[in-house]
Amino acid sequence: MADLPPYTTPRWVKVLGIIALVLVLLLAILHLTGVGNLGPGRHMPSGHAGDGSPVSMTVGHGSPIAHADHQPWL
Amino acid sequence: MTSGIRKFALSVHVTFSVGWIGAVVAYLALGISAVTMQDTQTVRAAWIAMDLIGWLAIVPLAIAALLTGLVMSLGTRWGLFRHYWVLISLVLTIVSTVVLLLHMPTVSMLADMAQAANGAHLAALGGDLFHPGVGLAVLLVIMALNVYKPRGLTRYGWRKQHEQRTVSQP
Repeated sequence: MADLPPYTTPRWVKVLGIIALVLVLLLAILHLTGVGNLGPGRHMPSGHAGDGSPVSMTVGHGSPIAHADHQPWL
Repeated sequence: MTSGIRKFALSVHVTFSVGWIGAVVAYLALGISAVTMQDTQTVRAAWIAMDLIGWLAIVPLAIAALLTGLVMSLGTRWGLFRHYWVLISLVLTIVSTVVLLLHMPTVSMLADMAQAANGAHLAALGGDLFHPGVGLAVLLVIMALNVYKPRGLTRYGWRKQHEQRTVSQP
């Protein structure tokens, strides 16, 4: 037992972790500064889509078969 | 797991995983069309197709890839938490699947809107490039990890390996 080398995390895991951390921080900054509204429908009036809210949960969509007739902004 | 079953399970897992990547590429192509094309019918068709590809191809393939990946790791010597490349692949696959499932309802809503929208409103829908773009990048990272299988035991795997050596060499 005594001749076991101490456990070390592989270097590639550390590098990958740092890259992932930087990317997550970058996305968080973009999101907080308002530049980060990167989802679909971002050009639409606020509250319709792309704001990160589960819009379809409230309007009853969620499958390709369910095509409701409502047209919220027409 | 016997060699024959293992090879079959691996084939199924690779099929679902590569299929997932292919379906995302197809979705991305439609997303680019929705942004760049001027023709109203083309943009409308792109959104409808994105909705269908998302729910009928990408979501099933993602879930299938995740489940077959679990079977492969638990049924072979790799284990689920012993090697970093398996653990990171698992985490990235779960995150990708969850984001996909949270994102698809929005795509469905926009596809519904696109069916009724006229030119100006249709242009306001924009496209959906960020999610599939990042998703594709993550899937390629997972694929690279699975192909190269970089060395590196987790602390749990390191301890288990030490325990096995201790048992085999009393």
